[in-house]
Amino acid sequence: MIKTKNLIKTFQTGGIETKVLRGIDFEAKSGEFIAIMGRSGAGKSTFLYQMSLLDEPTEGDIMIDGKDSAAMTAEEKTGFRLEKFGYVFQDYALLPELTALENVLLPLLMQGRSRQSASELAATALASVGLGDHLHQLPGELSGGEQQRVAIARAVAHSPRILFADEPTANLDRQASARIMEIFTDLHRKGQTIIMITHEDEYAKFAERVIQIDEGRIVSVQLNQ
Amino acid sequence: MFSGLNIRIGFFLAVRQIKRASLWTTSLIIFVMVLTFLNLVVVSGILVGLIEGSINAWHTQYTSDVIISTLPDKKYIEGSPNLIALIKSLPEVEQISARYSEGATLEANYKTKKATEKPNLVGTQIVGINPEDENAVTFLASRIKEGSYLKSGDYDEVLLGKYLLAQYVPVDDPNFAALQKTTVGTKIRLTVGKVTREVTVKGIIDSKVDSLTRNVFMVDSQLRSMIGRSDGNVDQIIVKLTPGADPIALKETLLRSGVDRGARVQTYADAQPQFLKDIINTFNMLGTGFSSIGLIVASITIFIVVFINAYTRRKFIGILKGIGITGKAIEISYVFQSIFYALVGSTIGLLLVYLLLVPLFLAHPIDFPFSDGILVAPVGQTIFRVFLLVFATVIAGYLPAWMIVRRNTLDSILGRN
Repeated sequence: MIKTKNLIKTFQTGGIETKVLRGIDFEAKSGEFIAIMGRSGAGKSTFLYQMSLLDEPTEGDIMIDGKDSAAMTAEEKTGFRLEKFGYVFQDYALLPELTALENVLLPLLMQGRSRQSASELAATALASVGLGDHLHQLPGELSGGEQQRVAIARAVAHSPRILFADEPTANLDRQASARIMEIFTDLHRKGQTIIMITHEDEYAKFAERVIQIDEGRIVSVQLNQ
Repeated sequence: MFSGLNIRIGFFLAVRQIKRASLWTTSLIIFVMVLTFLNLVVVSGILVGLIEGSINAWHTQYTSDVIISTLPDKKYIEGSPNLIALIKSLPEVEQISARYSEGATLEANYKTKKATEKPNLVGTQIVGINPEDENAVTFLASRIKEGSYLKSGDYDEVLLGKYLLAQYVPVDDPNFAALQKTTVGTKIRLTVGKVTREVTVKGIIDSKVDSLTRNVFMVDSQLRSMIGRSDGNVDQIIVKLTPGADPIALKETLLRSGVDRGARVQTYADAQPQFLKDIINTFNMLGTGFSSIGLIVASITIFIVVFINAYTRRKFIGILKGIGITGKAIEISYVFQSIFYALVGSTIGLLLVYLLLVPLFLAHPIDFPFSDGILVAPVGQTIFRVFLLVFATVIAGYLPAWMIVRRNTLDSILGRN
C-alpha cells in the first residue's frame, strides 16, 4: 500500500546541514495499524510528513499504491491527500471559523460531493465519534478531546486509504486519550489503515506493529499480539 | 484553475470567514473601504463640481441655453427684429431676452470732489435689458444683493455689479478701479459715448459670473435713447429652451437659416470663457490624478489587509492545503472576501454620496471665488469607479493570498518561516 525506500531528509539551517532521516525503508500493508515511536528529535514526525506527502524527501522513493510520489505534481499530491489520506494532528488543526460539521464537510465538498450528501456523511462521521450533538458548535466551544474527535471525523469521513495521526493524544488528558484510542481501535477493526506517532507505550500497544526510530533510522520493529 | 468546484469552496470559506470574523475588524476594513470610495468619488467630484458650479452659473445666469451675439466686425446684430421673430416662432424656444451692450464710464462722488482730487471713474459695460424678459430667462432679480430689481418704467436707474463698488472688491489695490462710497440710492454719472446722464443706483447684483458683477444694467429703452438706436437692432439675444430641448439642435437650425451671416450663434457650452475651459481641462487632469492615487491607495490598503489576514492565518491555510483543499480555492476565498469588503464599502459610500453629500453640497455649496462648488457624481461615472475599485480590490486581494498559499504546506502548518 505504502512503501518507502532509502528515505533521506536533510534540513539546511544557516549553512549547517542536518540529516533528520538517514535512509528509511518501510512498508505498510492495507488494514495495518502501525505505531511509530522514538524520542524527541528522532525524526518520526518528519518521516510521517514525507510519507503523507506534506513534505518532500531530499532523497529516496515513496510509493503509494504503486505510484511514485516523485512523479506527482503538486496538484496531484493535493488531490492524493484529499482522496486517499486522512490526517489527525497533535493540535487538532481545526478551522476556527467553521463549525464541527463544516470542518468535516469541507474536504467532502472539495471532493465534488453535493452539499446534502457531504452533510449527511459528515454528520454520520461526527456521530460515530460521539459528537452527534455538537454538529453546530465552533471548535472554540469544544473541549480538547472533542476537538480531536472532530479532527478524526474529518480525517475518516471520506474513508481514506491511510489515516495518519501525529501524536493525537499528546494534548489530551487520560480519559480523552483513552476515548481517542477506542475510536482508533474501532476504525482499525473496520479495516482502516492507521499510521500513528506516539510517545506513550500505553497507546502503542493498540497497534499491530510498533516501529522505533532513532537518529533518522528504524532501529526496531515489534509486533503486538 | 478557476473551476466551479474551487469557486464553490472559495465561496464557502469566504462566507464563513466573514460571518465569524471579529465585528470590529470587519467594521474597520469596511470603514477603510468607505473612505477609499469617498476619496475616489468625492475628491474628484468636488474638483469637477467647482467648475460645474461655474458652468451652471454662466449657463443659467448669463448665456442661457443659446446666445446670439454681434459679429466682431459689426456694431450690432443686423436684422435683429426678424431674427427675434424667427426665434420666437420655434417651438422649442421658451423665452428670449434681447440685450443692448455698450462701453460706458461711471463716475461717483463728483459732487464732493475737490479740484485737486482725481475723479472716481470706472470703465465698464452697460447692458440694456427688458427687465421682465431678462428675469424670465436668467432670474436676474434673484441675484439682487441690495436694493431692488428694475421695472420696465424705471427712468435713469441702474443695477451695478458688486465688483464695481469698492466695498465689495476683494483686493485692496489702487490700480483696481471701483466706485467709492456708492451704494443703493447713490447718484452716479453714466457716460455712454458722448451722452452723460445722472442715474441712481437701484440695486446691486451679486453673482459668481463676472459679466454680472462687473457690468451695469439699465432698462433697454433708456439705453436706446442714450445710444440713439431706434432700428430695433440689439447686441445679444439669449434663448431659453423648453425642458429637454437640445441647444445644439437649435444652433444648427439657426445656422441653416443663415443667421450666422449677421450674428454669432453659440450654445452655452461654446460660449464658456476660455479660462473656464482651461480650468476644466486642468481639473479633469487633477481629478484623474487624484482618482488614480486613490485607487492605488485602495489597492495597497486591501493588499495590506488581506496580506495581514492571510499571514496570520497561514497555519490554517497550511491545514487547508494539508487536508486537500486546493490553493486556488483558498485564493478565491480571499478574492471573495476582498470583493465583499469593496462592495459593502462602496454601497455605504454610494448611500453617503447620493443621500447625504450631494444634497448637502447642493444646499450649502462651497463658496469659491468663481463658482458655488457642488459635488458632481454622475451615476455612470460613479458605477464605473465602483467597478474599478472592485477590480483593483480583486487584484489586491488575490496577490497576497497567492503569496501566502504558495508557501510550503508543512512550513505553514508548523508555523515555520
